[in-house]
Amino acid sequence: MNNYQLMITADDKQVVLERILQVTRYRGFLISGINAKVNTGTNIGTIELLVRSERPIELLVDQINKLIDIKEVKVDNSAS
Amino acid sequence: MTTEKKLTGAGLLFNVLEQHGVEHVFGYPGGAIMPIYDALYDSKVEHFLCRHEQGAAFSAVGYARASGKVGVCFATSGPGATNLITGLADALADSIPVVAITGQVATAAMGSDAFQEIDIFGLSLACTKHSFQVTDINDLAKVLHQAFAIALEGRQGPVLVDIPKDIQITEVNRSLDELVNLENKVKLPPANVGSAIALLNQAKQPILYVGGGVGMANAIDELRDFAKITGLPSVSTLKGLGAIDPEDENYLGMLGMHGTKAANIAVQECDLLIAVGARFDDRVTGKLNEFAPHAKVIHFDIDTSEINKRRIADASILGDLKVNLPALAIPLAIKPWQAVCHEMNNNFAWDYNHPGESIFAPAVLKEISDKMPENSCVTTDVGQHQMWAAQHMVFDDPSNFLTSAGMGTMGFGIPAAVGAQVSRPTDCIIAVSGDGSFMMNVQELSTIKRFQLPVKIVLIDNAKLGMVRQWQDLFFNGRLSETDLADNPDFIMLANAFDIKAKMITKKSEVSAAIEEMLEHDGPYLLQVKIDAQENVWPLVPPNTANDKMMEST
Repeated sequence: MNNYQLMITADDKQVVLERILQVTRYRGFLISGINAKVNTGTNIGTIELLVRSERPIELLVDQINKLIDIKEVKVDNSAS
Repeated sequence: MTTEKKLTGAGLLFNVLEQHGVEHVFGYPGGAIMPIYDALYDSKVEHFLCRHEQGAAFSAVGYARASGKVGVCFATSGPGATNLITGLADALADSIPVVAITGQVATAAMGSDAFQEIDIFGLSLACTKHSFQVTDINDLAKVLHQAFAIALEGRQGPVLVDIPKDIQITEVNRSLDELVNLENKVKLPPANVGSAIALLNQAKQPILYVGGGVGMANAIDELRDFAKITGLPSVSTLKGLGAIDPEDENYLGMLGMHGTKAANIAVQECDLLIAVGARFDDRVTGKLNEFAPHAKVIHFDIDTSEINKRRIADASILGDLKVNLPALAIPLAIKPWQAVCHEMNNNFAWDYNHPGESIFAPAVLKEISDKMPENSCVTTDVGQHQMWAAQHMVFDDPSNFLTSAGMGTMGFGIPAAVGAQVSRPTDCIIAVSGDGSFMMNVQELSTIKRFQLPVKIVLIDNAKLGMVRQWQDLFFNGRLSETDLADNPDFIMLANAFDIKAKMITKKSEVSAAIEEMLEHDGPYLLQVKIDAQENVWPLVPPNTANDKMMEST
């Protein structure tokens, strides 16, 4: 099982967090931790997501990137 | 003194629909969507009352697929909305642009377990490309414009807009926003053209693997030019059928579980697979790690997430097929390989010799295909008849073959034919169904009757859930479980109850005249074709097996 840390920035829109969690579960990644906050000035949300899976992280990154309200997804390669 | 009627959210909805060129919608009214149905009175949009919300969703899908336009469906809150879900899931799996509008209980009642309240917004997450719930009237027009843009941009798909009842009745400004096209949401990396051309030039035995994305990208001309210039032998997925010119001498037919022997063997032997708008679906690949085992892969797609999802690509070409296919259209020196493929095509041609008097469904479907008018559109349900239609009917455009490919939804065929007929009123629309699937949305015969749609229904009747029965016989030791449908209703009487002319045939000698009578009939018609319940679909690649290890008989 590989561990990954994702840094996601998103527009602060309805259910954006639910969408990320639904895609993460459906695509075969378990969530180890989550930290989410919103900048009320810019209405941009940042989500740190710790996930683990046997699957390559690119599969999840590509799927989250497709979500309409997502601005950017980065993988923090320092996590293991 | 007359007072101008105030524009409400419901009225604004229709203004935006008209702005997007929507002429037809499919739906079913109910409590929480009543203001929208009231505003329908004042709209130019024509509404087609279906007899179940699932029928409305599939009609919208059929409309979109047959016409290339966005399909639109309406449903009320609660059960109306949940009944749309199967249709939306089907549209998501097959990348079909649909906008679904659902009524919702008033915002003040939301979250209180109100009558006919369900969290359709939450339920929509897994079965739509995107979804909205409008909680501020000032957002309504913008959200509706976004819904149409998202349904069409990049890889197309269904979008749901949930509108609470109070938003529908709130007065609103009359001005409309200008339409804005949305570009593909995901920024695509540059196409790997140099690597792809090198792979093409090195290949001795390349195969072009064509998927449904070609039709969705409206890139049929570009694909056919690409096939002609390169001379590539080609195969098609179920949803890709019609994209390749069926007269192309290098075309080998459908690949996969019920693909042609020539297509499957050629793919297994190829050294380069050029996947175009295809996604290496499990029904295509069979045992994935034995699929095209010697091949390098060039993968064309609009969706980044399809690259390397099930098969690593040696070169990925992301973006618009209309642009990217011409960039790689170079002549290839592959004459010996073409000759091998031609020989396989000849050696493994379909055999329509069938002993006895009982009707052979593949021959019936081939004869219908040969006799149907130009630009006919065929819909299917799901099961044996679907695979026989895919194998034995010939289509010259993907918009002329509408089948539930990704989701495999029984009950798709009749309402999809309704939508197709509404979108193409002068074309011949033929729904090929099975006796199991037919009963799943049989209420839509009432929609056919109501609007006098001249849909032709070919009901392949073996009084079984034939495909499941086939698998129980082959892979479950013949332990038949819940697949016998001997208690089906009298389908002729049933059709007549909906003012649909109907005929049953049971012998080969009746086939030709019955097909001609159906095609010449000026109105809806049901042709019930009784077949032997033991007939199987061949070839068949057993589950978790390489595609060249297909079964051709028991």
